[in-house]
Amino acid sequence: MNLHKLTSRLCPKATQKFRHLHIQSSGQQLEAVAVETASAEANPLSVFRTSERDPTYHSEGHSGQYYTLPPTHIQKLFPYGLPPRFQLQIKTFNEGCVMVRPPALELISYLKRADYSKPPLRYVLYGDIGTGKTMSLCHALHYCYSQGWLIVHVPDAHLWVKNCKELLPSSSRPSRFDQPIQASQWLKNFKITNERFLSKLKTTQRYVWTKRESTEKGQPLGELIDQGVNRMKSSSDVVGAVLRELRLQAGGATEGEGAFKLAVAVDGVNALWGKTSLKKEDRTMCEPEELTLIHNLRKMMKNNWVKNKKKLEGIEGFDNMEPFVPVSVSNYNEKEFESCYLYYLDRNWLQHPHSRSEEGKKELIFLSNKNPSILERLCAFL
Amino acid sequence: MAASVRHLLKPWTPSLCLVRWSRYNPYYLDPDPSKDARVPESELSPEEKELQELKTVSPIKAALSSDTSSAFNDPLISKFINMMMQDGNKILARGIMTQTLETIKRKQVEKYHKSPAAKREEIECNPYTVFHQALENCKPIIGLASVQKGGKSYQVPVPLTDNRRRFLAMKWLITECRDNKHRRTHMYEKLSQELLAAFANEGNVVKRKHDLHKMAEANRAYAHYRWW
Repeated sequence: MNLHKLTSRLCPKATQKFRHLHIQSSGQQLEAVAVETASAEANPLSVFRTSERDPTYHSEGHSGQYYTLPPTHIQKLFPYGLPPRFQLQIKTFNEGCVMVRPPALELISYLKRADYSKPPLRYVLYGDIGTGKTMSLCHALHYCYSQGWLIVHVPDAHLWVKNCKELLPSSSRPSRFDQPIQASQWLKNFKITNERFLSKLKTTQRYVWTKRESTEKGQPLGELIDQGVNRMKSSSDVVGAVLRELRLQAGGATEGEGAFKLAVAVDGVNALWGKTSLKKEDRTMCEPEELTLIHNLRKMMKNNWVKNKKKLEGIEGFDNMEPFVPVSVSNYNEKEFESCYLYYLDRNWLQHPHSRSEEGKKELIFLSNKNPSILERLCAFL
Repeated sequence: MAASVRHLLKPWTPSLCLVRWSRYNPYYLDPDPSKDARVPESELSPEEKELQELKTVSPIKAALSSDTSSAFNDPLISKFINMMMQDGNKILARGIMTQTLETIKRKQVEKYHKSPAAKREEIECNPYTVFHQALENCKPIIGLASVQKGGKSYQVPVPLTDNRRRFLAMKWLITECRDNKHRRTHMYEKLSQELLAAFANEGNVVKRKHDLHKMAEANRAYAHYRWW
């Protein structure tokens, strides 16, 4: 691949370019760099970066390169969905760059070619810790957002299943428990992401929350969500209602203007079937079925809708999920590692002089085993 | 000749039991783990050649498990980690140090990316140079020792050895961060703030160094009480 050769040829140039910024030792080196900086200025962008900002057009040729997430999209689509270390990175580098990698490209190609009239397909991104599952998921979600789909994104299902401060008995069903804080937070985020759909969609049945409050049939979805945000007590039930509405309406309205595609993404989907760390009042452990949020989310996972597509993520597959399409995520290969290394050099992140030499690079490869998250943590203090 | 060498290599036990000092025979040399230690023979002066030969013959102490042969190993940072360590929890101390370096780098790189191109050259992003420079700025040049004369004890200005200066700088940094900061902030956050302030010659530790210098200047008259 020509790109690979370009990388290895430009790597010494890239390091020389940065030595130029520090104080030079010999005059000869200065001249050589002065000539190369002029030609290298145009090139380094093409080696590890791509100017293609729309994930629709990402292809195999872009694999291993970084594309910039537009800041407006980050605010709208990912107020909460990105991993915390990546959010720190965005803040430090003043830009959000994501690497285009084969698992994400595979997922996007499945989404492009899938047949929407059949029952929905489920995809599971699986792999070792720190290999980039959440980032691939976010890449695919960015594609969906730019295509105009409606997005249901649960950033971390584990947050709903442990460390819950308030657990109220459910208002609608006696054997269930509600989590008002998590539910209302999720509704707020849902509102930010999917604002344009809220006025278009209407409810299909009447929902009664308390003796005095109810939402009539035919009300816009935005009102339902506001109801959930304002009244914390019934927010979990509102979440259930919203999910039910979306399931019913997602494919059916081909005749009206309400046709839309729905993407459901759950990060950490094995939390829905594992044990919770929450306790009921009599100190016995809570089962996941007894939590309203989890129960409603599990219903979404079944494929008895019409015309929908969903994507999931988890470390181990589960029998409830079958059948699904597995997508494997692994550590960086050499080209991706080169690209990552050059990106950190470009952003002035690798500061230790030894890390910029060939031996330092070999040490980094050895210490991190090309695992993306370990490499990121290593380069953080070097 | 062989007999005298064998006599030296006998385990040497002092007549007094000195518990604090290491039990190694003083004949043993310190290990040098860096890869660049071996310099080709032509560049050495005759004394250094002798030293090299001595190294090949004499025994060497065992290396510490915290020393690595990689160039990322920094003796000053290791010393600071040892000083921060409590109850032998080296993992925690090292974690705090790496988080401190990361925080310093993040703050500086953020500033770097947000500033215009003209000011970028002045911002120092390397956390190691920031740490070294901050420590230099905190080291006192002259210290005070308590000398008793005629029943009264006086604070006498006294020169300090390099080790003592380095120790005082590190000790002041750590105690400042442990005692005088807000309770709920993390140690790495407090340390990074203090180090960045010391790098710019501001902050409480540099102030304490200046106070020490002023006291030494004020007690100049007693300098003659020093006999060493």
